[in-house]
Amino acid sequence: MTASDTDLICAIATPPGEGGVGVIRLSGRGAKTLAQTFVRYELQSRQAQYSRFVADGEVLDDGIVIWFASPNSYTGEDVVELQGHGGPIVQQNLLQALCARGARLARPGEFSERAFLNGKLDLVQAEAVADLIAAKSKLAAKAARSSLQGIFSAQVAGLAARLLNLRVEIEAAIDFPDEDIEILQQAQVRQKLAGLSEDVHTLLRQAEQGRRLSQGLTVALLGEPNVGKSSLLNALAGEEAAIVTAIPGTTRDLLKVDVVIDGMPLRLVDTAGLRESDDAVEQIGIERARQQIYSADRVAVVLAATDLADANDSTLANCIARARAQLGAAADSLSADALHIVINKIDLHEPTLPSVEQSETRLSLVSATEQRGLQEFVAALVNHQSADAEAANFTARARHVQALTRVGSLLQQAQQALGDQAGPELVAEDCQLAHQTLGEIVGTISPDDLLGEIFSSFCIGK
Amino acid sequence: MDFPDRFDVIVIGGGHAGTEAAAAAARMGAKTLLLTQNIETIGQMSCNPAIGGIGKSHLVAEIDALDGVMGQATDQAGIHFRVLNASKGPAVRATRAQADRALYKNAVRNILEHQPNLSLFQQSVVDLVVEDEKVVGCETEMGLVFRAQSVVLTTGTFLGGRIHIGHEQHPGGRAGDAPANALAARLRALPFRVGRLKTGTPPRIDGRSVDFSELEHQPGDDPRPVMSQLSRRDVHPRQVHCHITYTNEQTHQIIHDNLAQSAMYSGNIEGVGPRYCPSIEDKVVRFADKPSHQIFIEPEGLNTTELYPNGISTSLPFAVQLQFVRSMVGFTNAHISRPGYAIEYDYFDPRDLQHSLETKALEGLFFAGQINGTTGYEEAGAQGLLAGINAACRAQGKDPWEPRRDEAYIGVMVDDLIHLGTTEPYRMFTSRAAFRLRLRQDNADQRLMEQGMALGLIGPQRQAAYAAKMQALQQTAAQLVKTQVFPASDLAQALGLELRRETTLQECLKRPEISAEDIAKALHMPADEEVAFKALQQFEIETKYAGYIKRQDEEIEKIRRHEGLRIPSDLNFTQIDGLSNELRQNSITTDQIPWPEQRAFRE
Repeated sequence: MTASDTDLICAIATPPGEGGVGVIRLSGRGAKTLAQTFVRYELQSRQAQYSRFVADGEVLDDGIVIWFASPNSYTGEDVVELQGHGGPIVQQNLLQALCARGARLARPGEFSERAFLNGKLDLVQAEAVADLIAAKSKLAAKAARSSLQGIFSAQVAGLAARLLNLRVEIEAAIDFPDEDIEILQQAQVRQKLAGLSEDVHTLLRQAEQGRRLSQGLTVALLGEPNVGKSSLLNALAGEEAAIVTAIPGTTRDLLKVDVVIDGMPLRLVDTAGLRESDDAVEQIGIERARQQIYSADRVAVVLAATDLADANDSTLANCIARARAQLGAAADSLSADALHIVINKIDLHEPTLPSVEQSETRLSLVSATEQRGLQEFVAALVNHQSADAEAANFTARARHVQALTRVGSLLQQAQQALGDQAGPELVAEDCQLAHQTLGEIVGTISPDDLLGEIFSSFCIGK
Repeated sequence: MDFPDRFDVIVIGGGHAGTEAAAAAARMGAKTLLLTQNIETIGQMSCNPAIGGIGKSHLVAEIDALDGVMGQATDQAGIHFRVLNASKGPAVRATRAQADRALYKNAVRNILEHQPNLSLFQQSVVDLVVEDEKVVGCETEMGLVFRAQSVVLTTGTFLGGRIHIGHEQHPGGRAGDAPANALAARLRALPFRVGRLKTGTPPRIDGRSVDFSELEHQPGDDPRPVMSQLSRRDVHPRQVHCHITYTNEQTHQIIHDNLAQSAMYSGNIEGVGPRYCPSIEDKVVRFADKPSHQIFIEPEGLNTTELYPNGISTSLPFAVQLQFVRSMVGFTNAHISRPGYAIEYDYFDPRDLQHSLETKALEGLFFAGQINGTTGYEEAGAQGLLAGINAACRAQGKDPWEPRRDEAYIGVMVDDLIHLGTTEPYRMFTSRAAFRLRLRQDNADQRLMEQGMALGLIGPQRQAAYAAKMQALQQTAAQLVKTQVFPASDLAQALGLELRRETTLQECLKRPEISAEDIAKALHMPADEEVAFKALQQFEIETKYAGYIKRQDEEIEKIRRHEGLRIPSDLNFTQIDGLSNELRQNSITTDQIPWPEQRAFRE
């Protein structure tokens, strides 16, 4: 698709309502010509010029006008921005005048769509634009900006390039067995597959974290009655969202609160205290609490420091065992890094700090009533693998995570097929599907592109 | 004058596309005329004397499954047979045969001359007869007008053909044959997009001047494969060896020193050549770090001493050809019997074709073979078959036959051509077929035969063979599913299996270490039970591929859900989000959307 093929669209680019400045964006064939009829000076590409905006001799507004000549613009087409005053009437008049002269109102997202179609943005980047606009927190916005700059795309593209290289070898061996070309030995193929598999897994973890960044991490607070789950929720939410009393079993149903802490969106879920109960309503509440073990991104089990009087009680191993015992059978499905131990009420009893122990499960010491240790707790929740934290700063959508998961399992199958001596066409089959699936994130390659790579890598042809 | 008889189908051109087209139309009962410049060159192999190879023998198997010519002719003319990729899985195994040129031509001509409903006529065609934007016939050099419902054009490299040797160039369709320039001029006036392609041939060598003692020998395979499902090994003529030599640094130096004299490197050729079949000039320049290239020496036939050194196609001047040929081991005293040359020719952009290979611009006109930008006898033959079938369908008022990508390599090829076009001579490779595991040689008949029978293409002999095969397959499947294997039983021991609990033979076959041969031995299957053993082998393939085939079936199902949705012709494509501009410009159905873009529809 070339820029000249597209019709002229316009829209108000700034939020609706009154503002100091209101920007109208015009994109497509003839954008400059049309804008030129409104202003006094000959437009120069990428130069801010002040002018009155005049239509049929009537001054509609005045302000800055910038022309971005194709292809050096957001959409890749000719783009003109009219930066006038941010009043609804003024802007509507200007839009009407533009539409009366051949432009049409843009559909939502049409500018980004054009940028995508013109190769200015890939699919991931286009989605990141939407995320950037909708970003609810500083961190998510920063992550969206990273994606927009193609960090995630670049990583996926890097994987795709390596997979392409590997496929070139495998396919060349299949389609050109009679040529005297040197292709990879099976051990090398195995090694490359394993390396790719590992890196897909790493990216997947990062993408998973990215998805949580944009969509928010769900943290379920579980524990026995009266250990201070609701107090902790209130302390984090900064408001009295949950009713806090000293009567055990006050929280009978799930209570969900969305908060943004240090730029990180969190969905906190307060649950009914875990205990044997004859109360039918409370039983339902406890059952729902246990369901959270399956659905939440993190399960924070709250223990009361006052229950850990003995120094032995507060070892990490002991706390984990205690927490898992409380969760019951559902704990088996909970991975070590999704579990989090929170020791509350340290204002009442300062437990002996557990010595450093090797575990993926983190432990935080807090006092909900004195608001101590909360930031550290949140930080520990978010940056579980602190080494990944920086790299994870891009958004990813459920679609990307799904695709990467599939790629990972296909590469696993390819390794399996290789191990079974099942024939290169089966290894090739898994690799092809894996490659296609990666392509669904950043764009596909055709069999002919693959052949092109083979011909440029090997001297084929007798 | 008007020829008194009217035909259903006229096929122009007697190459591999033309012969399959004419034979297929005639098999379907259409009254068919094959027009050729020269009846003596029907079935001529203009390039190397070999049929089949990876991806290509898959096409031959499909032609064969529809009762076509190529597989049987190859068996009657083949003097060296090999199975390629024998150590790899069955989906990518392929058969390749060296053919005796004269025997091959005879076999093709013999099949055509015994084909009911088919007439041959020798005369150059100079024009098409067009009425109401429909092609209704053609006119020959002597002013003879033939009329028909459908016309299939299979003119190969003869349209605007130009031969280059060094700086010399002259018009030609093939060494020794004139190009079809009048027809080319006429077609250029019609609303088709025309491009130029080039291809090359190596110099031929007189075998009497070659020292074979210095060359590597390559015998054919034993047991010897056959190309056609109908053939038995005993139709093969006497078998001979192929040979291998190599270029060396001296060869490369000679070529390098004379590059300026190559037609390709002096800018005389505008056409694009195939990347997978580069000239020796190309190899030396593009892969400069490679000290040597393998040259595969193919015999031209049993009753000739001529050899075809595959791998040194060139458009260097004759003197340089002689010099570099003689620099190679075994060729020190080689006599060149025919110089190598490059040939440039017109092709028509296949994106102007429908899936049936009928042109979009002119009803009743079909294109097949190299005219569509492909290369290779097998690619040409497969298109010829498709065009011949659809030309007959048109004459008989039937719906066209449009094989899909998941059904046949023919479907892959046509889909690629009509959607993506081509910028180099298009050749089949298995990697073009996303559903490669389903598209095998061994099941070409199962994929296509029933459609062929519905079209009336399949003769009684082949129908009977197919019925026998399917019966054997069913029996084998039933036997393996129900035969139980107990731990420590004779059967388990014969298979070398240590079982913990009882299982079936089918389950055993799923293991990578158990093959059809093992089962045949364990069951004491007689060695001469060829049909039963083949059925067992095929059952093995289906068992071992089952998981992958199931996954492919799911992919195909996703695609088919959107297939065949007719899109109203008044729909405004410019208002649909996310379509490429090219798609927006065409009124289409979903199954006309090229493969990669179909994925977008499935999301």
